[in-house]
Order: sequence, then structure tokens, then C-alpha cells
Amino acid sequence: MRRSNTDPLARRYRFAGTGAALLVYAFLLLPSLLVIPISFGSADQIQFPPPVWSTRLYAELFGSPSWMQALRQSVIVAVATTLLSLLVSVPAAYGMVRLTFPGKQAIIALLMAPVAIPVIVTALGLYLYFSLFGLTGSTFGLVLAHTVYVSPFVMITIAAGVRKLDPTLEFAATMMGASRRTLLRRVLLPQLAPSMFAGGMFALLLSFDEVVLAWFLTGPNTATLPVKMYSSIQWEISPVIAAVSTLLTALSLIVCCIAAACQRTEGIEARR
Amino acid sequence: MRRTYTEGMLYMGPAVLLSLAILALPLGYVLYTSLFDPHFTLQAYTDLLSSKLFERSLLTTIEVSVTAAVVSLLLGYPVALHLARQPPRKRALYMILVLLPFWTSVLVKSYAFTVILGRDGLINSMLSMIVGQKIVLPMIFNRFGVIVGMTNYLVPFVVMPLLAGLLAIDPALRRAAEIMGAKPARIFFSITLPLSVPGIVAAFSTTTVMSLGFFVIPALLGGPHDMMMANLVDFFTRQTLDWHAASAIGMILLVIVVVISFAATRVRRIAA
Repeated sequence: MRRSNTDPLARRYRFAGTGAALLVYAFLLLPSLLVIPISFGSADQIQFPPPVWSTRLYAELFGSPSWMQALRQSVIVAVATTLLSLLVSVPAAYGMVRLTFPGKQAIIALLMAPVAIPVIVTALGLYLYFSLFGLTGSTFGLVLAHTVYVSPFVMITIAAGVRKLDPTLEFAATMMGASRRTLLRRVLLPQLAPSMFAGGMFALLLSFDEVVLAWFLTGPNTATLPVKMYSSIQWEISPVIAAVSTLLTALSLIVCCIAAACQRTEGIEARR
Repeated sequence: MRRTYTEGMLYMGPAVLLSLAILALPLGYVLYTSLFDPHFTLQAYTDLLSSKLFERSLLTTIEVSVTAAVVSLLLGYPVALHLARQPPRKRALYMILVLLPFWTSVLVKSYAFTVILGRDGLINSMLSMIVGQKIVLPMIFNRFGVIVGMTNYLVPFVVMPLLAGLLAIDPALRRAAEIMGAKPARIFFSITLPLSVPGIVAAFSTTTVMSLGFFVIPALLGGPHDMMMANLVDFFTRQTLDWHAASAIGMILLVIVVVISFAATRVRRIAA
């Protein structure tokens, strides 16, 4: 390392490389950060930097029944999706890591399929299929769709947590006569709590931000925040969207810090 | 064996049932809708193959996906190099600059780009101020806007596999080359670049496959000529209510995605 630092040519290359990287970081961050100053500008026109600073857009957002209805709908869908996906993903992730049985690979492929299949195709399929049961436009239908969409990410996160568990603890508990339920409640779930929390946060954000499934599966009364945003960007670019975007970016920042913290603990464990 | 099989079903059963009911069946229903009207017919497919609209959107989809993947690789590579050079603690910090955009809603980004690239947007008004007269560069509702938006979305997906590949390179190789007097450019082109090929292949195939199904960005940042296959699915489902055509496009998209994913896995296996 020190050698190359003294070499002027190497230093020049490194300098250029760092410069290029910093430009790309700026390009990546610009859209997420730009919405913040715009959201504190005036409600009449989108301007950067805003001539007058105000919180009028937020007042307008929180005072608008239709935006509030969409926000409420998104929160309901995201919370229900998170709970349902944890309910099916925790045991599935445990089975994925701990058990071996014929056909397991095929089952894993099925459970991970939502990552590989274009969401638009799933959305079309569910749109047609739900109409057979009258589920199109219903909150319940969207929660089911979102649960399948987010579960692979939840399973991967929790399976990583299960891999770190010491199987001898489970063996010892069983040896000492713990029932399956006691094993689950006293041994497994407490140890898995951090990865369940991380998986749950991912599920919450993925569902809260998801637009394609929601665009196909919601009706006028069940439209979520992303659906309302999508149609208002398409038809009339209202400055209120900047306030909504800032709230979404804040939520992303929280989840991103949690993800970074999880990676950090994994890194520490890897170093041990 | 039998016991583990029942146990496997106990743990993974709920997730499997949900995936079958909410993913496999709807996809099967798309296939069914594309082939039966009400008797078996290939009409939907033959109609599409002779349709100018479909031909154009297929071409657009492929062109945009490959362009976006290539541009993302070019932008992501310097970032991955920069991250790979950092000590672990600093790398975690810089990673946040990639993770925040990764977790930011695609709607927030699309909205921000309408503000940045628009007629009276950030760039145009800045250029006008510098030059001293009104400048209106067309940067949105055209191919350029779509590529900028998609690249911004895809770069984080490029950085992660590239970084993993770069970190796997034995640093001793570089040191050895340096001691033997290789210049930085030589080291890059004969060690770093060739050894990062698996990462490049992985990043390129993932981002191309992801782009093929893009819906929101072409709809919000593209013009009428930038309709991709996903937008055509939406058009046929909701505007013309031609569900047979929509299903046929969905199946074609699905087949393209699956074929490319399998081919990429094969290439990666050969390259590794």
C-alpha cells in the first residue's frame, strides 16, 4: 500500500478513480436528497432552491383526506403483510436451513421464484385470477400478493439468522425434555429476534413502496400511497408529492441504517 | 426420512401453499388465458407477432434493457473499485451511499428526475443561468430520461456483485505484480479486470433481466415511443381490456426472462 502511494502515476490513477466514484455517489444520492429541500418550498411551483421556506406542503398533505386515506391504506397493507410474511417465513426459513428431505430444492425454488419473475406478470396473473373470486380491489387480496412478493427477502434474512444459531442448544433443550413448543418459545424465537426484526423491517418497506402489484390490484377506495403517487406524477405533478417523497426517503433511511447495522454485526462475527 | 418429510411440510407447508395459491396458480391462469378463447387457439400470439406495436415494444425493451445494463456497469465499476479499496470500517460508511438509493422508492426517484430533467427543471434552468438565455434540452419523456432513471435504479444492483468479486481477488497477486514493476494500468488490465469477469457477468445479467420487466420508470420518464413490454401489458389489461393479448405478452416476457437467467447461470458456471 505504502509503495503505491509514493508512486505518482498510481496516485494520479487513484485520484481519478476516487473522483469518478464520488461523481457516481452524487448521481445516486441526488434524487433521494433533492426531494427534501423541494418539500419545504412553496406550494405554487416546484423550484430549487425554494425562494421561501415553509411547511405548507406538509400541511396540505396532512390536511388532504385523499392522501391521508392512501397513507392509512398503505400502513394497513404494510403491517398486515409484515405479520403474515413473518408467520410463514420464520418456520420456512428454519426448515430451509435445518431439514433435509426429498424435493427440498424444488420447494426452495418455488419459494424464491417471486424474485426472478417480473412483477408485471405476477400482477397481471393476480388481476385476472382474483377477479374469479371477487378479490380484485380488496385489501385482503393485496396483502396476499404483497406477502408472496416480500417473503423471499424475509426468508433469506431469517435463514441467515438460523445459520448462526448453535444447533447444540436445540439438541440440549430437546434432550432435557423440552417440548417442541417450549423449544420454539424459549430457545429459537429469542435467538432469532434480531433477524426477525430486520426481516420484518424489509417486509414493511418493500410493501410500503410497492407500486406495480398495488396498481393492478387496488380499486379507487383501496389505492395505496404509491398508487396515488404514481397516478399524480403521471397526470398532474403536484408539489405535495415532494412532501410524500421526503417521508418515504426518511423511512428508507431508517431501514437502510438497520440493514447496515445488521451487516456490521455479521462482519464482526465473520472476523471472530 | 419419512419423519423429516412430514416435518419439512410442517415448517415449509404454509409458505408452499401460499406460493402455490398466490403465485403458481395465477401464472398458470395467465398461460391459460393466453391460449384459450374459449377453445384452444394461438390467435393471441399470432396477432402479436404481426403487430407493429408489439414489435416496437419488444425492440424497445431489449434496447433499453441492454443500454441501461451497460451504462450501469460503467458507472458501477468505479464505485465497486473505490469501495473495495477502503478499509472495512470506511467501506461500511460509503456503503450507506449505495444502500440509501437502493432502499429509496422508485417513485421518489422518478419524481425527482421529473424535477431535475424537466423542461424548466434543475439542469435546464442552471444551463440557462450560465448561458444567459433560455435553454430547453429535451431530457425527459424520451429515451434519455428512461436510461437516466433506470441507470440510477440499477447501479446499486451492479455494485454489490462487483464488490463481492473484487474483494475475492487475492491482494498478493497485485502486490506481486507491483514488486515486479507493473504499472497501475497494467495491473488493472491484466489482474483486476480479468479476475472480476464473473462479477461483471453476474451484474450484467441481473440488471438486464430486471430491466426487461420495468414498468414505472418507462411510464413516468419515457415518451410514447419508449413503451416497454410491461407498459404494453398494462395498456392491454386496463385500456383495451384485451386480456388474451396482455397474457400472451406476459408469457413472452416471462419466457425471455427465464431463458436469459438460465443462460446467465450457465455462463457464470463456465466462467467460474
